[in-house]
Amino acid sequence: MKLKFSLISRRQFLNTLFGGWVVAFLSGSFYALLKFAFPTLGKEPDFVVLNAKDFLDIPFNSVKPFAWGGKLGFIFKRPDNKTVALKGVCTHMECNIAYKPEDKKFYCPCHKGWFDMDGKVLEGPPPKPLEFFELTQEGEKLIVAKKGIKVELPKA
Amino acid sequence: MFKSTTIHKKMLNCLCCPYAYIKTLIFFLIMLFLGDIPLLAQENVEVFPSAPYDRFIIYQALVLFWIGIIGLIVIIKMKLKEIERIQDMGIDKEEKDIPFLD
Amino acid sequence: MSCQRLKNWIEDRYDLDGLRGFAKHKLIPVHRYEVLYYTGGLAMFLFIIQFITGMVLSFYYIPYFEQAHKSIIEIVTKLNMGWFFRSLHHWGAQLSIGVLFIHVFSTLLLKSYRKPRELLWITGLKPRELLWITGFILLGISIFFGLSGYFLLWDERAFAAVRVATGGAGNLPVIGGFIKSFLRGGIDVTGDTLTRFYAFHVSVLPILTLILMGIHIALVQYHGMSVPISEEKNVRKHVPFFPNVLYKDFIIWLVALGVVVTLSILMPPEIGKKADTLAAPPENIKPEWYFLFLFQTLKLFPGDLMGLNGEMIAIVLISLGILFFFLIPFFDRRSARGEKSPVFTWIGIIYTAYFIVMTIIGFLT
Repeated sequence: MKLKFSLISRRQFLNTLFGGWVVAFLSGSFYALLKFAFPTLGKEPDFVVLNAKDFLDIPFNSVKPFAWGGKLGFIFKRPDNKTVALKGVCTHMECNIAYKPEDKKFYCPCHKGWFDMDGKVLEGPPPKPLEFFELTQEGEKLIVAKKGIKVELPKA
Repeated sequence: MFKSTTIHKKMLNCLCCPYAYIKTLIFFLIMLFLGDIPLLAQENVEVFPSAPYDRFIIYQALVLFWIGIIGLIVIIKMKLKEIERIQDMGIDKEEKDIPFLD
Repeated sequence: MSCQRLKNWIEDRYDLDGLRGFAKHKLIPVHRYEVLYYTGGLAMFLFIIQFITGMVLSFYYIPYFEQAHKSIIEIVTKLNMGWFFRSLHHWGAQLSIGVLFIHVFSTLLLKSYRKPRELLWITGLKPRELLWITGFILLGISIFFGLSGYFLLWDERAFAAVRVATGGAGNLPVIGGFIKSFLRGGIDVTGDTLTRFYAFHVSVLPILTLILMGIHIALVQYHGMSVPISEEKNVRKHVPFFPNVLYKDFIIWLVALGVVVTLSILMPPEIGKKADTLAAPPENIKPEWYFLFLFQTLKLFPGDLMGLNGEMIAIVLISLGILFFFLIPFFDRRSARGEKSPVFTWIGIIYTAYFIVMTIIGFLT
């Protein structure tokens, strides 16, 4: 059935076509720009490989820092001789925490949060306990992995 | 992965006879050097992704981009034609002695 | 669309009648050379591309000489489309400077620097030298943009090029030494030079460009478009800028964008070896193409001319040539009166031809 009058005016048609195409074009280009502007590297690693020699001879009741991606990690030799690995980052606002050997607690200076040796929150605003990692030794290497991640080392 | 295991098997078989020892040694050395050569030519930085899959995506994106640009140019030309048509009719100019609606 | 609501919101708060009146009355004359009117806007568009790509690249570039080269390699190899934006920035630069030269030479040959004749439709019978002055300074700034930007790569060729360029500037009598140490940040080209050139490239030059471009564009709105003397009686009609000429501007900008993107994808620039401050420069180095005419001119002069330093004489003569170029609007008395000025037309042709010929010779040798 042929219509006697067109449903939209020529001006409306042209303007919508123009506007729509411009929006599509600009958003496509802008998307490409944003993909570049947003940093590509920023995820936390699934696991980190360290040299065992550097970390197994630390004194009792002390921590040695290591790089967990871009964040702080601790290899912690507890007073009961167990060695564990944890993320040295406060669960409140992500400040770096410090170990206080005299108190045998971890302390976050930003809002005065305290954690015990197992990472449990003792005092202050932190909502969750500290995150611990799985620590395994393979020959000369020490592997620190997120809990639940199966580590497949490349055949180097 | 497959290739390396068959080569390994062949090498192990070669170890039986003494001449083969020398052969495998030379083979190893050659492989070592061939592996080194790309490292020596480090000056040539890849300024364009070399994988063919990546390249196809890029050329495809270029074609789509040009389609986008040409489409936009065509639409702008249509708008221009329309505006010139209106202007030639003279209906966009204000009439001189138009009465005010007081 | 909610365009009408947005318009109402603005109208309720601001009185836009002045702007609207200006927009309606901005008319562009139509004549044989009107296509050259688009070069200015095109140069501006290309510079905007440079600003945008430059800003995102500066998120990742490290301006410390030990890490500069590596940071660029990281951008090109490790980041999402890093190679593309670096390539876009490179080709955008080449095209902007090219279009800018076309713009400057066309204003020289069409004598857009002069005071226009008594024509009824143009509102300012005022002389336009300030446009020429701001334009000339902008040209110098853009060339320095090119040199400082290229240096940030910290590769052998850029390093040698900056040594020659700053050394050449140092050959000016009296002020040469000051200019050389100001540019270099010391006696020789070092890491301090990189820091300085980075400061120029990302903060000093962009701010100067914005200020001068603002003045330049405002002056164009005030004076209107200049019509070449020979065409003044041939002007058949005037088209309104909004929207007719603006749409044509958009078309040209879109084509330029397509060209820049295509060049960036098909011919991405190489990354040379990292610069070694103690090594000799590589064989047969040539500066960027917009320096070739200067490079070739220097080669014409012997090292020792009648006991005086050949380099210094060359630099002085080149500087005088450029100074005369800059002062053409003030010397061109006949154009200032609105009369044909064939002497200065020929001078303009000679300058343009010299630039083109010397650049081509520089390419071929």
